[in-house]
Amino acid sequence: MPNIRYANMSHWKTIPYRAIDNFRDFYYEDKTNTAYYSDWDTILKYQSALGFDGIEIAPWDLADILPLFGSPENFSAFAKDRGVEVIGMFHGAHASHAADHYDEAIRSGREAVDTIVKFGGSYMNTCPTQNYCGAGPLSREEVQQCAKVMNEIGQYATDHGVKIGLHNEFFCAINLPNHRELIESTDPRYVHYCLDTAQIAILGEDILTFYEDYHDRISTFHLKDTASANQPDSVRYSRDPEITDDGTRWFWEPGLGELDLQGLYRLLKKHEFKGWMSIEYDGSPDMLASMALTRYHLDKELRPIYD
Amino acid sequence: MNSDRIAISLDLINRHNQEPNRNRFESKYFWEELYPLLRASGFRSIEIPYEPVWQFGGRSGVPMNRYSIQTKYESAAKYRAMLAERGIDTVTGVTFDPNLFMRNANLDFFFGASGHFAGEALSHAADLGADYFAISPSPYYGRAAHYHPDLEAKRASFTERATELLRGLADKAAAAGVTLVLRNEYWSLFRGEQILPLIDALPDGVKLDVDTASLTIAGIAPAAFISAQQGRIGCVHLTDTDFVDAGETWKSPNPEFPAHRATQVFRDPGTGSVDLPAIVGLLDRLGYQGPIICSARQTRDPFRALLRTRAFLNQLPN
Repeated sequence: MPNIRYANMSHWKTIPYRAIDNFRDFYYEDKTNTAYYSDWDTILKYQSALGFDGIEIAPWDLADILPLFGSPENFSAFAKDRGVEVIGMFHGAHASHAADHYDEAIRSGREAVDTIVKFGGSYMNTCPTQNYCGAGPLSREEVQQCAKVMNEIGQYATDHGVKIGLHNEFFCAINLPNHRELIESTDPRYVHYCLDTAQIAILGEDILTFYEDYHDRISTFHLKDTASANQPDSVRYSRDPEITDDGTRWFWEPGLGELDLQGLYRLLKKHEFKGWMSIEYDGSPDMLASMALTRYHLDKELRPIYD
Repeated sequence: MNSDRIAISLDLINRHNQEPNRNRFESKYFWEELYPLLRASGFRSIEIPYEPVWQFGGRSGVPMNRYSIQTKYESAAKYRAMLAERGIDTVTGVTFDPNLFMRNANLDFFFGASGHFAGEALSHAADLGADYFAISPSPYYGRAAHYHPDLEAKRASFTERATELLRGLADKAAAAGVTLVLRNEYWSLFRGEQILPLIDALPDGVKLDVDTASLTIAGIAPAAFISAQQGRIGCVHLTDTDFVDAGETWKSPNPEFPAHRATQVFRDPGTGSVDLPAIVGLLDRLGYQGPIICSARQTRDPFRALLRTRAFLNQLPN
């Protein structure tokens, strides 16, 4: 068994079919590649063929997945039949810094944990609060409120066999000035960390230093590259910066950006990381191509360092 | 008919389903490049499908709601000015469907959220100077039935609440000078002619949307429907299809994607089997002067669809 297993954070947009039984007929209707991106059967086969044995569900997909499959358990069984297991789900802990939102934040977090348990997953990577623009800068008390919510959800998650991992976006109200403060204000027994390599590099952290400092808190990764590290406040704190007006991409497949991912893998070896590494392709124009490029880079450049 | 007066719906751009290169549809540059292409294809006016989802999560590059427009252009007036610079003279109408809010067993949530965002959408339609605001009075039947297995038992109370919501919107629309129009998609609780008792319960100013493909799939001949309802048609969507719903797909949770036989339900205008030239001819003979919109919903290639649509319109007698 390798030390690292690979998964994909699901960034497929809505997949409307479970399986397409009339694939050839469907193709011939308009002779485009639509048939190749329209059913979970095919998507999961791509994952399995490229060695991504896990999938992390996106919460915004639930409204489509659940009616399509009937239940989380049905989706997980369908994926498992194709060699893919559901490892967890992302969660956005909206407004967890706001004391008057405490009950809702806890309810929503617990509900997400319950959903993950139904999928058979073990990870809930959690964005601690919403965008900086409109919410930031946070006071010390608000950061502590956020930590309180994470601890509470984390304890509930731990009791149900799920690890929550703080997952910071470069444009969130938890940002460079209070990112580490939040981590250190949470209880390491209940709250872990999902290291999104590109997000925290754009935020202004050095990924190698960060991993050295917090390796014992890391539960899982979102591995992706960037050519846009250390963005200024004016970008990170702006309104809706994630999708740029001119199509500039923040995120690239491993090896197509500028991050020292080989250095990261040497540290993974040093600290003997064992667990899941999710790859993220947000911003990619072609998920399948990104998946294949990533597999090539993993096999040729990163797995030889530590597997 | 002068086809210059026919609008194109922005629903030809796939905002939701997976396909290569779909990500570009979330950036502002894509849409600003698109508008001149619409004009180059002979369209001076557009219809906007209002979608609250782009308000959540910072994806405001998709110009489908008031938040996105204010984020990128500050105001509807500045957005209209940008459109005009790119050859789009008018926003003919705004559509709204409440499917996003059918996501749990709580009907208070569904009607509360739907009412709130439909109100926003209607105000946005007024700000854009639109002629009509076309609302789907129900979510997908099958999605509602997934969360409410007793949906048929709730039909009367659901209809009552929908009627109440629509009455509020009708008052607001009348005050704003926008025509409220009811859509009757084939997947609706009010599909086909079941829309008629609903509209009968609303003020006279509320009109019907004629969607030619949806009516056809629901088993209603569009020409007969138009003739029978000619006095209360608020807008006409020229949509095309080859789909025959032999397996009650309309009752499934994802009715635009038939589960047992994948197919493109809505075909690019002129490539399906709906007799659109006859319908346009009928509208002409009846003296219909209201909005007409071409929709290439579900197209596999929006730019080919634009040209296909124009090629189809060019074949109509002028």
